[in-house]
Amino acid sequence: MRSLTEPETETMFRKLATYTSNNLSELIKGTSEDGATDENSRMVFRIQGNRVFYMPLRLANLATSIPRDKLLSCGRMMGKFTKTGKFRLALTALDTISPFARNRVWLKSNGEMPFLYGSNVVKAHVGKISEDCPEHSGCIVYSMDDTPLGFGVTARSTGEMRKLEPTAIVLFRQADVNTCERHVVLAQIIYFLHCVKDC
Amino acid sequence: MAPPNKGSAKGGSAGGSKPLSSASRVSKSSKKNVKRPPPKEVKSKARTETDLMAKKKKRKYTEAELDLPKLNTITPVGVVKPKGKKKGKTFVDDQEGMLTILAMVNAEKDGQIESKMMKARQLEEIRDARAKELEARQAHKKNKLEAVKDSIRNKKGNGGSGKAGDDSTSTKNAGSKSAKPKRKSVSFA
Repeated sequence: MRSLTEPETETMFRKLATYTSNNLSELIKGTSEDGATDENSRMVFRIQGNRVFYMPLRLANLATSIPRDKLLSCGRMMGKFTKTGKFRLALTALDTISPFARNRVWLKSNGEMPFLYGSNVVKAHVGKISEDCPEHSGCIVYSMDDTPLGFGVTARSTGEMRKLEPTAIVLFRQADVNTCERHVVLAQIIYFLHCVKDC
Repeated sequence: MAPPNKGSAKGGSAGGSKPLSSASRVSKSSKKNVKRPPPKEVKSKARTETDLMAKKKKRKYTEAELDLPKLNTITPVGVVKPKGKKKGKTFVDDQEGMLTILAMVNAEKDGQIESKMMKARQLEEIRDARAKELEARQAHKKNKLEAVKDSIRNKKGNGGSGKAGDDSTSTKNAGSKSAKPKRKSVSFA
């Protein structure tokens, strides 16, 4: 596990800045998640393999006692670097970056399940949306009780959305909190079908 | 290497400038007895010797001084690594460094978003203008139609014909009537 290099840091921040506003600096300032302000509680980014983790410095220092090849995970995973040097944001970063979101969309309760089952968001399901939200910009999706549900990209700007019909798509889904579970269920179904076929 | 004695004898015979005489032979034999220090091996310096190399210190030109076209160089454009720079990765672990990078990224992103918004606003304005123009055109068209309708209605009002829409047909009929020759009729007294 090591610190990030300059280009790596830049690439990661560029991706994070797609979804967050200027107050992202709060993420790296000297306060930890539990509010402590000493140097050891400072939150840092560390890379292990190609995965980037976000953790307090105290934990990062402790992790040096574990051999690199034996360490699987430490802290909160933010994403991973591809072999071409791009950064892919992981869903586990949702909770970390949701307080700093630039554009937000709140879904009505009738729109939550379609979103969590992999559909794009239609206008009829939008409860609230940030003002001055441009087209094709990163967005964080919330339920009406402010629970972050996933990531998306706006299909239209806020101004254009007002003129659309209720069935028009306003946000393309990128990832949601149900993705993992859906994949597990799908895997179970496939396994079940294999079993049935064998019988 | 040939022994020096043999070489000298040979040299004497090979020289050939002087006729071989007994006196010379005598002198030769006397020379043989003279003790000379053993010949020293003279080492010639190799060309690769550092001293020789150091003597001729050639001036080295940098690529910039040579003014070569960039595509003609061995190293591709953009891959040139600065000389004398430390190898390896430079880590960013301090808060200030990270904040600087973040500020740079944020400024870039803000610029992009701002330009996007500007573009969207301009497009919106253009769209609005087009919609207004279309509306105005349609209204103009409608007015024109209304005017034509009104004129037709007025015409009808002036002509005083009873049924609407039969105006054209009635005129046609009248025209046809006038054009037709009078039908012959037979009357019984």
